[in-house]
Order: sequence, then structure tokens, then C-alpha cells
Amino acid sequence: MARRKKPKLIKEKVPTPERPVEERIKDFEEVNLGYTFELAVKEAERCLQCPAEYAPCIKGCPVHIDIPGFISKLVEYRDNPDKAVKEALRVIWTDNTLPAITGRVCPQEDQCEKNCVMGKVGDVIDIGKLERFVADYARKHGIEDELLEEMRPPVCGKGKVAVVGAGPAGLTCAGELAKLGYDVTIYEALHKPGGVLAYGIPEFRLPKEILEKELNKLRKLGVEILTNHVVGRTVTIEELLEEYDAVFIGTGAGTPKLLNIPGILLGRIYSANEFLTRINLMKAYEFPEYDTPIAVGKKVIVIGAGNTAMDAARSALRLGSEVTIAYRRGREDMTARIEEIKHAEEEGVKFEFFLQPVEFIGDENGRVKAVKFERMRPLEERDRRGKRKIVGTGEYVTLPADTVIIAIGLEPNRIITETPNLKTNPNGTLVVDENLMTSIPGVFAGGDAIRGEATVILAMGDGKKAAKAICDYIEKKRANA
Amino acid sequence: MGYRITAKQDLSPIDYFVEVEAPHIARAWKPGQFVVFILHERGERVPMSVYKAENGKIGMFIRKLGKTSLQLYYEFNVGDELYSIVGPLGKPIKVKHYGNVVFASDAVCGQAENYATLKAMKKAGNYTISIQSFENKQNVYPEEFLAKPVADEHYITTEDGSVGRKGHYLDVVKELIERDKVDIIFAGGKLGSLAKLAELTRPYGIPTITTVRQIMVDGTGMCGSCRILYGDEIKFACRDGPMFDAHKVDWEDVLRRANRFLEQEKLAKERYLEELRAKGVI
Ligand SMILES: Cc1cc2nc3c(=O)[nH]c(=O)nc-3n(C[C@H](O)[C@H](O)[C@H](O)COP(=O)(O)OP(=O)(O)OC[C@H]3O[C@@H](n4cnc5c(N)ncnc54)[C@H](O)[C@@H]3O)c2cc1C
Ligand SMILES: Cc1cc2nc3c(=O)[nH]c(=O)nc-3n(C[C@H](O)[C@H](O)[C@H](O)COP(=O)(O)OP(=O)(O)OC[C@H]3O[C@@H](n4cnc5c(N)ncnc54)[C@H](O)[C@@H]3O)c2cc1C
Ligand code: SF4
Ligand code: SF4
Ligand code: FES
Repeated sequence: MARRKKPKLIKEKVPTPERPVEERIKDFEEVNLGYTFELAVKEAERCLQCPAEYAPCIKGCPVHIDIPGFISKLVEYRDNPDKAVKEALRVIWTDNTLPAITGRVCPQEDQCEKNCVMGKVGDVIDIGKLERFVADYARKHGIEDELLEEMRPPVCGKGKVAVVGAGPAGLTCAGELAKLGYDVTIYEALHKPGGVLAYGIPEFRLPKEILEKELNKLRKLGVEILTNHVVGRTVTIEELLEEYDAVFIGTGAGTPKLLNIPGILLGRIYSANEFLTRINLMKAYEFPEYDTPIAVGKKVIVIGAGNTAMDAARSALRLGSEVTIAYRRGREDMTARIEEIKHAEEEGVKFEFFLQPVEFIGDENGRVKAVKFERMRPLEERDRRGKRKIVGTGEYVTLPADTVIIAIGLEPNRIITETPNLKTNPNGTLVVDENLMTSIPGVFAGGDAIRGEATVILAMGDGKKAAKAICDYIEKKRANA
Repeated sequence: MGYRITAKQDLSPIDYFVEVEAPHIARAWKPGQFVVFILHERGERVPMSVYKAENGKIGMFIRKLGKTSLQLYYEFNVGDELYSIVGPLGKPIKVKHYGNVVFASDAVCGQAENYATLKAMKKAGNYTISIQSFENKQNVYPEEFLAKPVADEHYITTEDGSVGRKGHYLDVVKELIERDKVDIIFAGGKLGSLAKLAELTRPYGIPTITTVRQIMVDGTGMCGSCRILYGDEIKFACRDGPMFDAHKVDWEDVLRRANRFLEQEKLAKERYLEELRAKGVI
């Protein structure tokens, strides 16, 4: 591998252009515009090319992409952009087949970029944006299709696998198995595949066109996607096991946690999932051109501070509301990606900290008109996740709100966990062994279904690992038969 | 995929019957479960009860109410395809021998469930009593769509007494209770009547299982739109129901939550009617 000799230290990162606030809050189009080839090369040149064995960025990436490896291709073939991108994509695809998505949604600051050595002297390398650039350029210039052609399964008919759920875990598992020569059918409950990528993450963060392309990639590999099939209702795991050699469960953590406090049934109190599904999946922001309605007032309070909360807040803002995020902990405890928090603040979302909702107050029409909060106080003591513990102060504040969105977390969907003999942990996640096999032989699982709320890249990592385990399982089973 | 409409006909001036090819649902459906369909790419996800699931087809009773139900009525004909249909959703009711089983209904979804439930209950050896309430003579369904063939006793009521008894199913239920003829009662239809039924049977301790219709999006437990208070617990009507023990349901909230999108629904309906008028359809 051609490593450059003596890179000179450029401390400042090459910024990616973003659409101006005034313009972007009026629509649902993407906020960050990404690098051009020239800008990408400039940013790539800053990378110190740490040796792969030591590179801290690789260690931080859950699927261990050879980051200096793909970055170096951009510099090495700088005179031939198509070649540069193709070679970079080849490196990325070894470990991650959905870089257009992860480049956009990974919490890079906690993963690959967290330990980048450049951080000691200046800005870390913008790995996420580079990854996104490679994927976007490849998609737009037909490079992806060329590479896909090279990857066509050498053989098929090695066995049949059913994948339950078309989120990142299921899609990755299906893609990997198809590449290994298996016939794969995905069973998806909704009318569109993609999981959270389709119904949760808004267009302005992840254009649906990108997801559509990724799905086409799978179809090209021969994967069949059956929408409108709820496993556990339309067909059971037992029935799938009769027809397939193995099953992978990637049903995610799609059930919203709600606050069981007075007023929870009032109108215009939404779970973030309901709010975002109406908007993203059903396009309620184009009501009545689209048939699904949404009712949003002028003053919206979003409860929570994760990615879901930011997405809901910024969506409400785009529907013309004033939005406040109320969080029971402090600013530094927010779990959303830094870029989302920054964008939300730029766009005018207000933040209130140390407020815990205790009651929703309704008007005479049964709609919410205010939220009563208790003020919380942080303690020095920290919980397992390293966050400061909080206690109530006995002091209450009431904030007016004509719409409330609850984004306090998600848990695994119970339709699948009611499968007989499928063991679950107390929090509803599926029990799996080190090969991601569940308590039912031949049934594997990964992603949010086993982790609770996690990330896209971890779900993909599981999908990939499970594909290998499924392959071994089927081969062993056939050898013994 | 092809969810083809195979039959469609009027049941009354306000309700109609539609049958759709959906073998994936028909093979698994059990009484108590419902489906969710989408008419076209811009359509809403709409939950519907099932009247019959046979030969790979799903039969539904639909009321002409708002944009979606009107559009299906006016623009979709036999041979056309629905964009999507998913199911069966929700939990099946427990079909077993109870003794005397009553099903009471006073609106479109209830009439579908009435037939479907009693058919299964009769097969399980129960004595089945069906009560079907309609507003007036015009609105009574044709004989072949009533629950008569699956009921050992069948009552029709109309508000004006023009067909069957004068009154409502609540009146008939009261009589049946007095005659000690009810071991368990199921009901579906107007939410207001279901709330009253719960109060009627409560003092007698008669098990009362009713549909709790709530506005739904996904129908799989993913959004919480359909949440209800059940005892002290939050339940999702689509996943944990839609049939619940009516004595444990907080009916006041259920009734209120059905009106969450009234203004938007009205707007969509007006706009659509305008479109139909412009096209000369109505
Ligand atoms: C609003 C929001 C924003 C987020 N933002 C980020 C982010 O910026 N970065 C990040 O890394 N992570 C983010 N996450 C988390 C991330 O999306 C998840 O960790 C990831 O999608 C999990 O993938 P999965 O494949 O396990 O499940 P999911 O994406 O949840 O997909 C599960 C799929 O299974 C289907 N399904 C469920 N039950 C059944 C059944 N019984 N039968 C058939 N199909 C079924 C569902 O319909 C769904 O399509 C966000 C999550 C949300 C909700
Ligand atoms: C479990 C269940 C079973 C049902 N079975 C039947 C049936 O067999 N026949 C039938 O005609 N109707 C049935 N419904 C109601 C049906 O879903 C609504 O009437 C339909 O969505 C109306 O759509 P619309 O666009 O025509 O009217 P709209 O103008 O959109 O709505 C009219 C009224 O229908 C209700 N409604 C609207 N949207 C929804 C929604 N997404 N989910 C639930 N209710 C909604 C509201 O109370 C609303 O005020 C059922 C509902 C549920 C939850
Ligand atoms: S997959 Fe995510 S963590 Fe890994 S390199 Fe890409 S952006 Fe970073
Ligand atoms: S740690 Fe930073 S500088 Fe080193 S290889 Fe990774 S991205 Fe480049
Ligand atoms: S309709 Fe979404 S949870 Fe029931």
C-alpha cells in the first residue's frame, strides 16, 4: 500500500458546505451538502496515515473499516477521481456495505473520530464526511454498480435463509448471505423496507433516495423483500423454520416508551415514533396531498435528548412551530450526535435542562395545553453510563405547550418476543449466545432487537457477524445430515 | 404484489362490501384480528375489521366516512389493486365453549365482527345469539351479509322499529340478561354504545369483550397512537387488542382520542368531495 512519506500537519479540518438556516428550515431537504472531490482530497491529505495495526480510528469503528486505507486511495489516485473512489469504496465495502448511510448517521465523535491522533494537535479527520463522499460519488457515477457486478455471488443455492425485519441489521445480514451464495427472503412488517432509516430518520438527515439505492443493491444480489408480512402474525418463526435452513431476527427496538403520568392520553401528545412515522414514512408534511394527517400547534415541547428527540424537534420546526427540548439531565448528558445538536441549535430549537415531566395539563377539548415539570438537580455521583445522577428538588414549573412529543426511549417490539421458546432478557431484548444464536436453534438475532436502542453501525455489524455464523451453522447441519 | 379487488357491492346507502386478494393474510387470520390497508402510494394506513377470510381473500365492510373510504368506493373497482394490505394484526379472541355467546353490533365494523366471531363460536359448540342494530330500514344489510346463518338466535333492531325490534342492541341485551341467557358478550361498533354496554353488564359481572377502535398508524405496536388506559396500564389497542375486557377500559379517553384529527379529516373530505363534484362523479 502506497503511504505518503512526510505529511505536513494541517490542523484545521476542511469544512463541508451546509445549506443556510433560513433556507433549510423551510423544507425537508438535506442540510449538509458533503464534500466535492477536491475538498475530499484536501481533507484526506490531512490524515497522518497511522499504520493499520495501531490506527486508533480503526479501533473506534465498530466494524473496523480500514480508514487510513480508504483515505489513502483518494490521495493516491487524485488525478483520476473515478479510480480513486472505486478503490476507496472497495476498501470500505470489505467491512461496511452501507457507507452512504453510516457516513451520515454514525456518532463519529464517539467512534472512529474519537481517538484520531490529529485531535491532539487540531481538528480530527472528518472520517464520516469522507466515507459519505466516497459512497455518494460512487453512487452518482455508476461506480457502485461496477463494483457490485464484481461481487455477484459465485454460487447460489447453498441454502435458504429468512430474515425478519428490513432495518440495517436485517439488510446487512441479507446482503452478506446473498454474497455467500444463499437464497435470502426478508419479511418486513411495514409497507416499505428500511426500518428506522425509512420511518424514523428524516429526509433532511438521510435522503430516502439513498436508502432506495441501497435496497436496489440488495435486490441486484438476488435478495427478495416481502413487505406487509408481520412475523408472529402473518407467519410464525416456527413456520419459517420449516421452510428455511435458518432465520435471522432483526426486528429492532421499535416500541416507544411512554410516560405513565396524568394526561398521557391527551390529544397532540405523540410518541416520537408516531410523529416521525407520520412525517417520514407517510409524508404527512405534504397533507392533504398525502392522506395521512398530522396536527401540530405553535408551541411544541419535545421530551428527551437523543437522536430521536433532535429529529422530532427539527421536524416540528419545519412544520412551522416553535420548539423547546426539555431534558431531565444536563447539557453534557445529551445522547444525540453532536452535529444534530448543533444543527438543532442553529435552527432555533430551545433547550431546557433538569426538567422532569410529572403531568400533562389539558384544555376543554382534551388537548394538551401545558406540561408540569419538576426541577431536577445533578449529584456528584455517577451512574453506570457515567452520567451524573439526578434528584428532584420539589420545585415545579409549568411550561405552555399545544403539542408534546415524547422521545424518552424505545424497547423491543413484543410481537416477535412472544414467540414460544424464544428467550428474552428482563428489558425485552432477545437472549443470544456468542454466535448471535437465540434460544431457538437455527434462529439468530442482532441489532436493536438484542441491544435495545443502539446504533445503525452496531446493527450492521451484528448482521454481518450473524451471516457468517448462519453460514457455519448451515454447513455444519448439512455435513451432519 | 397485487392485492386485487375481487368483489365490491353496496350493503346499504352508507356501507359497502369489498373483497381483496390477500392470501398471506387469509391463511393466518382468526376472529378478533384486523388488517391495515393503503389505497395508493399517497394513501393513509387504514385499519379494518374482517368479515370473512376464505380462499385467499379478505372480505371487509366499509363505511363511507372520509377521504379514504370514499375514494375506495368511487375510484376502485373489481380488478383494481390496493397498494398494500397487512395482517392479520392484533390478538385473536379466545374461541372455546362458553355456553351462550352474544355478539352485539351497531355499526359497520361491528357487523363484520359479529358474523366472523359467531361463526367461530358456533363451530366451538356455543349457543350463539346475534344482535345487529341499524338506524332504519334502508340501512339494514341484505340478508346474505347478516349474521343469521351463524346465529342460533338472531335479532335486528332499528331506531324507528321499521325492521325488527324498535330500539337498540342495549335494549335486547338487557332482556337477555334478565332471561339469564348471557354467559359472555362480545360487541363492536359505535364506541359510545360500547361504553354504555360496559356499564350495563358490569353489575352482573358478565364477561364483556369489545373492540376498542383507536386511531392507528402502523398497527404493529410501533407508534403508540392507539394507546389506551386499561386498569392502570398503558396498552396498545393494535398489539394488545383490539378486543379488550370492556370493564377495564377507560372509555372517556377512548371516546375523546377518536377525534384527534377531526379538523384535518374534514379538510381532506371536503377537498375530495369537491374533486368528485368537479369530475361529475357525484
Ligand atoms: C428517530 C431515530 C433516529 C436515530 N438516529 C440515529 C443516528 O443518527 N445514528 C445511529 O447510528 N443510530 C440512530 N438511531 C438508532 C438506529 O436507527 C437503530 O439503532 C437501528 O436502526 C437499529 O437497526 P435494526 O436493524 O436493529 O432495527 P430497525 O431499524 O428498528 O428495523 C427493524 C425492522 O423490523 C421490522 N419489524 C419489527 N417487527 C417485525 C415483525 N414482527 N415482523 C417483520 N418485521 C418486523 C420493523 O418494521 C423495521 O423495519 C436512531 C433511531 C431513531 C428511532
Ligand atoms: C381495529 C379497527 C377496526 C376497524 N374496522 C372498520 C371496519 O370494519 N369498517 C369501517 O368502515 N371502519 C373500520 N374502522 C375505522 C376505519 O379505520 C376508519 O373509519 C377509516 O380510517 C376512515 O378513513 P377515512 O379516510 O374514510 O375517514 P377519516 O375522515 O380519515 O376518518 C373518519 C373517522 O374514522 C376514524 N379514523 C380515521 N383515521 C383512522 C385510523 N388511521 N385508524 C382508526 N380510525 C381512524 C376517526 O375516528 C375519524 O374521525 C376500524 C378501525 C379500527 C381501529
Ligand atoms: S462506519 Fe461509522 S464509525 Fe466506522 S468509520 Fe464509518 S462513520 Fe466511522
Ligand atoms: S487516527 Fe486520524 S490521522 Fe490516524 S489514520 Fe486514523 S484518521 Fe488518519
Ligand atoms: S397503531 Fe401504532 S402502536 Fe398501535
